Parts: sequence; structure tokens; C-alpha cells
Amino acid sequence: MISQELKKVILNELNLDDFDLQDETIAPEVPGWDSLNHVNIILAVEKFFSVRFKSYEVLRLKNVGDLQKLLDSKLGK
Amino acid sequence: MFQNIHLEKITGLLKYKSGDPLLFNTSLFLILFFLFLVIYNLFKNNKRARIISLIVFSFYFYYKSTEYFAAILIVSAVINFFFGKWIADTENFSLKRIFLALALILNLVLLGYFKYTNFILQAISDLRGTEFNPFQIFLPIGISFYTFKALTYIFDIYYDTLKPTKNFLDFVLYLSFFPNVLMGPIDRAADFLPQINKESFISKEDLGRATFLICSGLLKTVILSSYLEDNFIGRIFEFPLRYTGVEILIAIYAYAIRLYCDFSGYTDLAIGISLFLGFKIMDNFNSPFKATSIADFWRRWHISFSKWLLDYLFKPVQISLRRWKIFGNIIGLIVTFFICGLWHGAGWNFILWGLYFGVLMSIALFLQKPKAKLYNALRINNTKFLRFFQIIITFHFIAFSFLLFRLNDLQIAKDMLSQIFEFFHGKVALQFVEKMPLIFGLIVIGFISHFFPVKIEAVIKRSVTALPLAGKIILLALVIWLVAQFKSADIQPFIYFQF
Repeated sequence: MISQELKKVILNELNLDDFDLQDETIAPEVPGWDSLNHVNIILAVEKFFSVRFKSYEVLRLKNVGDLQKLLDSKLGK
Repeated sequence: MFQNIHLEKITGLLKYKSGDPLLFNTSLFLILFFLFLVIYNLFKNNKRARIISLIVFSFYFYYKSTEYFAAILIVSAVINFFFGKWIADTENFSLKRIFLALALILNLVLLGYFKYTNFILQAISDLRGTEFNPFQIFLPIGISFYTFKALTYIFDIYYDTLKPTKNFLDFVLYLSFFPNVLMGPIDRAADFLPQINKESFISKEDLGRATFLICSGLLKTVILSSYLEDNFIGRIFEFPLRYTGVEILIAIYAYAIRLYCDFSGYTDLAIGISLFLGFKIMDNFNSPFKATSIADFWRRWHISFSKWLLDYLFKPVQISLRRWKIFGNIIGLIVTFFICGLWHGAGWNFILWGLYFGVLMSIALFLQKPKAKLYNALRINNTKFLRFFQIIITFHFIAFSFLLFRLNDLQIAKDMLSQIFEFFHGKVALQFVEKMPLIFGLIVIGFISHFFPVKIEAVIKRSVTALPLAGKIILLALVIWLVAQFKSADIQPFIYFQF
């Protein structure tokens, strides 16, 4: 389940009003989430939640659900 | 005596001959493949025998291109199989990284020795101003493709998105699988390995798709590629100063479509042949000249390779430099396209070709926002009008880049450009159409079929699928006959235009 905060950060970075982000959603399915923009989203998430990911952790993400899990683990949830 | 000669001829045909690989569009391949399919189907219910027969045929296929250097495949298989296992087995993350680094080094040394030794030594001696006599090093074709294939296995295990296979033969089959061993697609281990243990089954849809792809592959590689090359493009590129700018421009367009047809046609054959064997391998092209930007082009051209670069090179650089913001992206782009160029061949022209794209995409990064503002102000955003111009402009950037791709002598590229700008003579185009209707017709067919709406292509595919088996065989036979006509046709005399 994608949290409202994470959804807000991602949609804000992509200038999208709304998009149904699910655990299985992958980047190419979301308008504007391309390989060049990907890095901005990761930076925005790190900044908003004051966390820091390792490159290895980011590179193995497959979908938004994985990002949520990674974020939760950093926030100690 | 007669019998002896006959046998010798056959064994001669079956043996390795330098510079004569077993390409899919040759009659020898089609005969051998048909015979192999019969054997392969006999082993339908015996998985082990089926896999072994496929490995044996794959090694024979690779032997036809590389003689005993086919053994490199075994070396590569052993290295990557065991490193994959070690990376997965160790819990210690630092050790994991060391294994990854060692696997990378061994793969790159293997590739580098065969492909880049002379190039690197030449560059060093050029810098020093000394003379260099190149070593006689055999280049086993396909090595860049299967090395990159093997690396998908290593990286995915490292990122823990793939479990290593326990079966060495399965891995050997993945690496040596003949449909994609010479020219890709660079299929992913994660997609291929699970298919080995599935029932070998070909559905009606797959059979239709395979027939369609084999027909299109044959037509593309023989008629739209080889014929155009031998009878038109090759001559213009060899002595451009003998021709007018307009002819050179037509040759540049023709070369773009020829390169696409040659490579994508070969991929079509590879995918079609794999389907006949019950395997689905990844797509490699998606109408690349329909691209509206350079980035879009690389999402549509040689997809298995560009996705490899994106996942295993660009993203790691980009993510580790993410605090540098846009400059992290730019370094990622330049490094990625430098490697992209170098991967295509050991030559400065390839490096320049790669860097050309790296620089163009970096510039595009800076233009992204102003462009969006301009389009919005002009109210042309997302319009067909804008798309049309984007496609035309992108196509020209791509078509002209292929000059670098083809020519290692930059003087010829300069000559071609100077003829276009200083000696255009547009009227000659009419003479060209009149005197070389077949060549002109083929170029037009090449572009029209490329820009076919996806819907029409889908209708054609569906019609081929709907054909009964006999219909499919007749269609295939017709295409083979047509292709044979073009293959056996004498090289057309070229008409010099006089002024």
C-alpha cells in the first residue's frame, strides 16, 4: 500500500494532479517518470522524508511498492 | 568417384569457412534448421535430450562462425555460472561486491583481449609517436553480445532480483542459444532461464507470429538491405565525389533504412526461429524512425542493448551522482554513450558516434524546460503538427549520425556533406527515379512499411496467424522464392549521371 505522503511527493515532482499509484506500478506507466527524471524523484523522496538511500538499494527497486518498503525500512516502520 | 566428390562438397559446406558464418537468410541454414527441428521435436517429451540437442546445434552454429574459438562460450559460461553462484551464496556484502568486480573484470578482459587489444595499443603508440604492428587476433563474432548477455545474469544476481540457476547446462543453453548468439537480442537471463523448464509448446498465435517474423526478416535482410547496399548505397559511399548532393542525400536516407532493415530483419528472424523452438526472446526494435526525440529513438532502436545500458550502466552512474543533479545525468549520459559507441566497434568513428548522442542528449536536458514553454506559448504541445516536425528533425540527426557509424575515414563524410551543401542539383532526383525505378521503389517501400500505423501491422499479423498450416507454408515458400530471385540477380549496373 502506497502512503499518501509518498504519493504526494512523487506526483508533486512529476507535476501530476492525480495518478493511481499501486504497489505494482512501474515507472514507465506513470506519465513523465522516465529514466532522466527518476533521479529527481529519488532525491525528492530522500529530502522530504530526511532519509538517505544507498545506490544499491535504489537500483534494485522494481516498482513503487519496493520504494515504499525501502522507505518504511529507513523510517523504522 | 562421383560419390566421393559429392560427399567432399557436403563436408566442405558444413565445415568452418573464414568470413562465412551460418546466417539465417542462407539456404544452408534453412536446410539445417529444418532438419534440426525434426530432431528437436522427436525429443519433445524428453527435456534433457531436447536441451542437449539445442546446445549441440548452437555450438555447431557458433563453430561455423568462429571455428575452435567457439570454446570461448564455454569459458564464459564457466566464469559466469560460478561467479553468479558465489555472489548469491555469500551473505557478506563486501565480498559480494568483490565477486561482482572480479566477474566484471574477467568478462571485460575476455571481451577486451579479442576486440580491443590492437585498438588500445595503436592508440598508445600514436600518442607516443611510435610505430605499431597490429597482432593477429581473431575476433569471434558475437562476443560483445553474449558477454553482455552473461552480465545480465551477474548483475541481476548481485541486485538480488534473480536467483542463480543450479543447472550448468541451462546456463550454457542461455549463453549459447543460437538464435541470438551472433547478433542479439541481448536477452535477459531472468526472462530466458525460466522458459527452459517449461513444456516446449508453440501456440497458434506464436506460430503465426513466427511465420510473419521470418517472412519479414527475410524480406528486410535480403531485399531491403543487401540488394540496396550492393546496387546503390555501397557505390555512393565509396566515391561520393562522383555524385551530386541529391544522390548522396538519397543514399544517406537509404542507408538509414538499410541499416534498420538489416539489423531488425535479423532480429525478426532470431525471434521467429526462437518461437519455433518454444522460446520467447525480447523485442529489439519499435519503428525507431517514428521517434520524436533522440531519447525516444534510443527507446526504440536496439532495445535490448539500450535497456542494458540504461539498467546496468546509466542508472548506477546517475544514482551514485544524484547529488550533482543535472550534471550527474550529463556524466551518466556521456559515459553511457561513450561505452555504447565503443561496444559497436574498436574505432574512433564509433566512439565519436556514441559521444555525438551523449552530447545531443545532454543539450536536450537543458532545452527541456524552455522547449515546453515555447510549445505551450505557441499552443502546439501534443499536436500532430509538432510531432511531424519532431520526427523529421530527429530522423535527420539519426541518419547523419550513421555517416560516422559507417565511415572510419572522416574525409569521406566531409566530402559527402560538402557535395550536399555545394553540389546539390535537385533535378537529378527525377533522373534517379526514372533510371533506377527498382532502387527508388525499394527505398519508398522501406519507409512506407516503417511508418505503417501499428493497427495495419496488427491486421497483417492476424491474417498470417489465421492462415491454415498449408497457407503458412505456401507463404513462407513464396517469400523464400522471392528472396532467392533478388539474391541470384546480378549486381545492377549503375548509371552515372552526366552533367
